[in-house]
Amino acid sequence: MSPPHQPTSINPNSLKIQLAYRFLHNLNNINTKRSNLDHTQINRKSHRVKVAAYASMAFVTGSRRAWSRSILRKIRNRGVLARIKKRVDHKASRVRVHHHLNARSTKRRNPSCSNPNGDYIDPSGNLGLEVKLRKLVPGAVMMDACGLLDETADYIKCLATQVEVMRTLVDLYSTI
Amino acid sequence: MEKEKYFNNGNGIPQAWNSIFGMGMGMGMGMQTSEGFFNQNCENSVDQRDIFESALSSIVSSPASSHPGIGPGIPIPGGTGGNESIVVRELIGRLGSICNSGDNNGNNSTNNSCYNTPLNSPPKLNLSILDHPIPGNSVPENTILRNPVPGNPSLPLAQFSSDPGFVERAARLSCFSGQSFMGINKLSTQACEESVSVSAETETGMKVQSTNSNVRKRKMVPKGKGKETQSSSTSFSDKDDKVVAEAEKVESDAKRSKSNDEENGNEKDGNGNGNEKQTKENAKAEPPKDYIHVRARRGQATDSHSLAERVRREKISERMKFLQDLVPGCNKVTGKAVMLDEIINYVQSLQRQVEFLSMKLATVNPRMDVSIESLLSKDMFRPRVSMPTNMNPFDASAQPFPYAFQPQNNGIVPDVSENQFSVNPLMAAMHRNSLMKPSHIDGLGEASTFWENDLQSVVKMALGQDQPQGFHGHMKIEL
Repeated sequence: MSPPHQPTSINPNSLKIQLAYRFLHNLNNINTKRSNLDHTQINRKSHRVKVAAYASMAFVTGSRRAWSRSILRKIRNRGVLARIKKRVDHKASRVRVHHHLNARSTKRRNPSCSNPNGDYIDPSGNLGLEVKLRKLVPGAVMMDACGLLDETADYIKCLATQVEVMRTLVDLYSTI
Repeated sequence: MEKEKYFNNGNGIPQAWNSIFGMGMGMGMGMQTSEGFFNQNCENSVDQRDIFESALSSIVSSPASSHPGIGPGIPIPGGTGGNESIVVRELIGRLGSICNSGDNNGNNSTNNSCYNTPLNSPPKLNLSILDHPIPGNSVPENTILRNPVPGNPSLPLAQFSSDPGFVERAARLSCFSGQSFMGINKLSTQACEESVSVSAETETGMKVQSTNSNVRKRKMVPKGKGKETQSSSTSFSDKDDKVVAEAEKVESDAKRSKSNDEENGNEKDGNGNGNEKQTKENAKAEPPKDYIHVRARRGQATDSHSLAERVRREKISERMKFLQDLVPGCNKVTGKAVMLDEIINYVQSLQRQVEFLSMKLATVNPRMDVSIESLLSKDMFRPRVSMPTNMNPFDASAQPFPYAFQPQNNGIVPDVSENQFSVNPLMAAMHRNSLMKPSHIDGLGEASTFWENDLQSVVKMALGQDQPQGFHGHMKIEL
């Protein structure tokens, strides 16, 4: 997206700048298709904005983190699934699609929420907490405890920054 | 060098080392300063040995003060020699040269040190030559003279005595003495016996061995120049503290093996033992280098599973600490479960906020076009400290700023060209900013107030510059 004649950005290492830039880009793509929205459209759009937010986070983080890989994969698959869905929609065979989707999803999620190594952060504590955390952090279901904590830390950092960017944006919009 | 001085003093003959040594030896021998013993340890690499022998340097014995008359040419008083010589010895030994030790026991002391360093010999090796007086008075002398003094037939008869202290010192210095006439060990004494009729004190030898110093003496192949005078033995002493460089070790090993071939039968026996010992020690001396050291405290289990588990727990707690800093309100919480709870709550709240904000963004007037500059400027104006909880950025932006452009920054409004979000102004602004501060690097996007301040000013500057240009018509500045 960056034009060739603009080689540098402000500060390529700044997470916030990158996030803001990316998110604005995504948001702009969404906004270009704007129309007068009714309720369902708003819902859909909010969903898209949310996806855009996570996508920008994952994009900025790149593939070096498990959570961002997971998000990116999900987004990619979402596109694939959407295409499949659309295609099958035309054929009006929704049931099969659901089967297909379910098969896919269950295949991937079957081992989910279980720690493969029996490697828990706090064996004496509440295991439900850790499982909960694994569900919250994308891509962390199959991770050992150390990795889980690492990913959580990075995810939190990125998410907080993203929230900040979004909040600034909202404020900007609402006050203008 | 002090040695030379020493020598010169002793002999009064300033000459080249070898000649001096030879002279010294001759003198000493001739003088029969029986009180002085010395040992010579020379390091030689095997190759150099011949040269070494030929070029051999040898010992000096200085007569004790008590017998000044005896040694005509040697003015060194034994008393001073004792102390001084030790110091000198250490210095010289450090320098990779020889050491003298003069000891005065019941007898007059003898100081001497000599040694020879062949030019080729690696500087690392130290020659330590010590002499040890034996109180009992058996005065062993070593003659390693290449050129035996003709007048001293008695030289070959020198006896070797070894001093445990010397051995220790030698071991410490990790000196290899190529040729030594010390009867430090039994071995050496045996060697001495061969070439010389020596009354070797096995007692001292035993003593030395009991000190656990590994000093081996090897006998050099006699050249046959002197009658019996050339009995040279090489003593290798290894340090007990395994700091010896491996190269050295290898070298010494090679030396050892070679010299073993040359050794006489008697010495072979002795050296064989010594060799085994030394190789063992060398093996021991090489500790495994890459090795994660996990130390179990007292009372902790030491089996591998427990250790691994402990390491894992330490890692986890370290990460938890990191997370603690990251999650607000988690600082005072103790206990992993509670902390996990906090973390989960925080992540959930963040995700909920994202959802909420995205909904808000969706409902907000979508026609607004946003430039990253306005976003950034707004971002910058928000104080960092209250970041997570400050919902209204304008509270923060109302803060006084020393910059003249501050009011204008708040009012930046994207132009009427809605929905045509042109990257150009954005990129232009970014580019300008980057030009303003090209080398600025921020490690983390958040929480660096320093950076915030900088960028703030930068943005302001950029804005100030951009104002007259009107930003390609895309931006309009409201006051």
